[in-house]
Amino acid sequence: MSNEPILELRDVAVDFSGFRAINGLNLQVAKGELRCLIGPNGAGKTTALDVICGKVRARAGRITLMGQDITRLPEYKIARRGVGRKFQVPSVFRELTVRDNLEVAYCKRLGVFANVRRLGRSAERNDLEKLAELVGLEDVLDERAGYLSHGQTQWLEIALLLAQDSGIILLDEPTAGMTAQETMHTAKIVNALKGRHTLLVVEHDMAFVREISDIITVMHQGRVLAEGSASEIQGDPAVREAYLGQRGIAHA
Amino acid sequence: MNAIASQISVGLSIASILLLIALGLAIIYGTMGVINLAHGDFVMLGAYSVWFLQKQFGMNLITTLPFVFLIVGGVGWLAERLLIRHLYQRPLDTILATWGIGVILQQAIRLFAGAELRYVKMPQFLINPVHIFGYEDSAYRIFIFALAIALLVATYLLIYRTEFGLRMRAITQNRDVSRCFGINAGRIYALTFAYGAGLAGIAGALVSPLKSVAPDMGTSYVVDAFLVVVLGGVQSLLGTVASSYVIGQADGVLASLSDDTIAKAVVFLGVVVLIRLFPQGLFAMRVRRS
Amino acid sequence: MISQRQTTHRLAAYAVFCVVILLVPLFVSDAYLLNKFARYIVFGILSLALSLSWGYAGILNLGQAVSFGLGSYCMAMALKLRTIPIQTGAGGLPDFMVWNNVHTLPWFWEPFHSYAFTLFAGLAVPAVIAFLIGWFIFRARVSGVYVAIITLAMLVVINLVIIDQQRYTGGFNGITDLTTFKLFGVEFGAYSVATYYLAAVILTLLLFLGLALMNSKTGLILQAIRDDETRVRYFGYDVANYQNFIFCVSAAVAGLAGMLYTLVMEFASPTFLAVPISLSIVIWCAVGGRASLLGAALGAIVVTGVQGSLSDSKTFLDTWMLIMGALFIVVVLFLPNGLISIGDVIRGRRQRRRRAAPARMPEHAEIAAPGRSAAR
Repeated sequence: MSNEPILELRDVAVDFSGFRAINGLNLQVAKGELRCLIGPNGAGKTTALDVICGKVRARAGRITLMGQDITRLPEYKIARRGVGRKFQVPSVFRELTVRDNLEVAYCKRLGVFANVRRLGRSAERNDLEKLAELVGLEDVLDERAGYLSHGQTQWLEIALLLAQDSGIILLDEPTAGMTAQETMHTAKIVNALKGRHTLLVVEHDMAFVREISDIITVMHQGRVLAEGSASEIQGDPAVREAYLGQRGIAHA
Repeated sequence: MNAIASQISVGLSIASILLLIALGLAIIYGTMGVINLAHGDFVMLGAYSVWFLQKQFGMNLITTLPFVFLIVGGVGWLAERLLIRHLYQRPLDTILATWGIGVILQQAIRLFAGAELRYVKMPQFLINPVHIFGYEDSAYRIFIFALAIALLVATYLLIYRTEFGLRMRAITQNRDVSRCFGINAGRIYALTFAYGAGLAGIAGALVSPLKSVAPDMGTSYVVDAFLVVVLGGVQSLLGTVASSYVIGQADGVLASLSDDTIAKAVVFLGVVVLIRLFPQGLFAMRVRRS
Repeated sequence: MISQRQTTHRLAAYAVFCVVILLVPLFVSDAYLLNKFARYIVFGILSLALSLSWGYAGILNLGQAVSFGLGSYCMAMALKLRTIPIQTGAGGLPDFMVWNNVHTLPWFWEPFHSYAFTLFAGLAVPAVIAFLIGWFIFRARVSGVYVAIITLAMLVVINLVIIDQQRYTGGFNGITDLTTFKLFGVEFGAYSVATYYLAAVILTLLLFLGLALMNSKTGLILQAIRDDETRVRYFGYDVANYQNFIFCVSAAVAGLAGMLYTLVMEFASPTFLAVPISLSIVIWCAVGGRASLLGAALGAIVVTGVQGSLSDSKTFLDTWMLIMGALFIVVVLFLPNGLISIGDVIRGRRQRRRRAAPARMPEHAEIAAPGRSAAR
């Protein structure tokens, strides 16, 4: 793993009408790393992902991707530079079939006129079917996404990110609402992505976090509280303080 | 100096009417996310109510106002109960449904009251000009202005100082949670819609003696009022007030420089350009959206 | 493989429809009736145009009549310049300009001496106006409901301007007393078979071109945008470009319909770009099926056909609009995808019943705050 950070946030701040959601956030993620972001509710984890992918704007600070400033770019341009995002509430195209969902995400050419001429889509068909197999959706390719179960919808969104093939993948609570079994399967997929993609995962489920992470970053009140391996984090008194009343980090 | 004062007064009266119409639109949109395209027809209905009450019972314009509010509010209440409440999950479709309601209202008036223009009498004591701060101004214009302010204050108190307003704001924040706390969302929505419609009815009553009353008179008012809402955003009463004032004055000034049509076109272009710069409206707050 | 069969069914339905409208002149010899049918076909094209932007991309354009009217005026201007009226000024000035004391032909009338320019302008003028408006609103990312409002406002304003500028547009009366359109030696008179065929062939072409467009990747992305435009952005697409593209295409198609309408009606009028027409387009599209090109076209043809076969009296028209308003509401409430979707609705019910047993429907995915989600 190289030490050169692929993604870097420096003194980033985000306001919502006076409320400081993020305040002086510093974060460095190395290429190929899988970083977990944890922290109590309202710590600013989701907002951190939002500000990276351009959903919200930073009031101050700088975000760089491979050394280039992306702080002020619109969402689609950040996406084009290789940042993919999975949302907390699974967000897929419910009116379209699973196959069509994957085709939308599979985007080597993004222009209107380049895509007008693309009638036959068979070239990418094999790739997409392989992806569907990977997340176990090969039997429902022609179903409307709106008919999928909650777990399947989560899988589909992960598959969309794989089709998009971004260098950096931001996952917001990928196991939310999943059974223990499904959670472990997700961990398997996420582990398989490590190395090829750089991942930034927001998660509450500590069992899942232990399963996948190298380094954990703990956020509290909009900034980084601690950073280190799972055991280091659990021994940190400041972290315990932050989680006070929530009976320790294991139950967070 | 006198010319400027009278110009401002004309702008203020346009703005007052716009405010009453836009206030209803903004409350309805802000609370339940419904764009009410029938709003212009509620204005029209208000004007026809005055005409009807005058013709049938010889009532004075001012004494008709409470009745107008109740009649148009009642129609709004019915529309919400019968139709709109089925569409809260589909915001774009509420536009269609309310447009349909507008067509039905317009055609019903056309069939029962006739398509010809109708005229409404202004109260005798408001016809004469009055002197204020050394200037001469139309009494009726001042009456419109005062009534708009009074209704604005009443609306403010309703939203921020009553139990009803508290519930309304709670539902705006989160409908499902509010329901869990025992708030009857359906009732609040129906009353909110009725209140907005009632305000539009009053606005219609106020313009009735100034312009001729016709079945399709609502369209141009509602378009202006929409521009007010688009420009002001829906998050604050202040935004609606300020942008009514801006558009009303712009309309007045531009109309005096060229003519009504050019004024409308310029205001429209201005709003489109402003939207590009301030997509949330001029007076929006930043909030986190999930 | 279900989707394969559905595609075949769909293509067959489109083909049958097109054959039927192309065969009509063989069975109808009454010129008056044929003219009526041509009008319905033109409305079908207009409704199809709205289906492209509204049905497929979720852009509810309440000002579609602007494009239609502008197309119609372009054609009328060209035909007017070729008319030799009784009262003309110097250099064949249109009669209404003479009455309004205009002495020279305004510059923007000049190029309409050329048919080639006219045909181009009938498509391009609506498209350019759509592009400009679209550039502002789509870049600003205003929500769907705001698009509806702004397009409606645009319609009202342009309508007022055209009536107001009587000296150049003929004002309230529009542009009347037109000569017959002639191209490649064929005369397209209002009551001629040629005009009917022109309209029918154009509708046929548009149906299949539209179908091809919507089955291309661009079409797929547009449908994804309709579903969830924010999500599309995170895949790297410039959503505003896609929206503006289909908005302009839709405007150009409506402009084409407008040009045809002038041929069929023999005049252009500000009522062509007034609110009632725009409302009618939305009603046809909704009743027939907004998310189906064929449905939208059929909606227009059936609704105007029924209307035309009943009566033309004023009272009837008023009552008819009342009924249409009610029908519109019923369709919006119970059949959001229009009459063409009745089959799908029944099939969908059956399908859902079949999968009811193992279904683990997501519970919280449906929940969205009604007010706020609309404001996004």
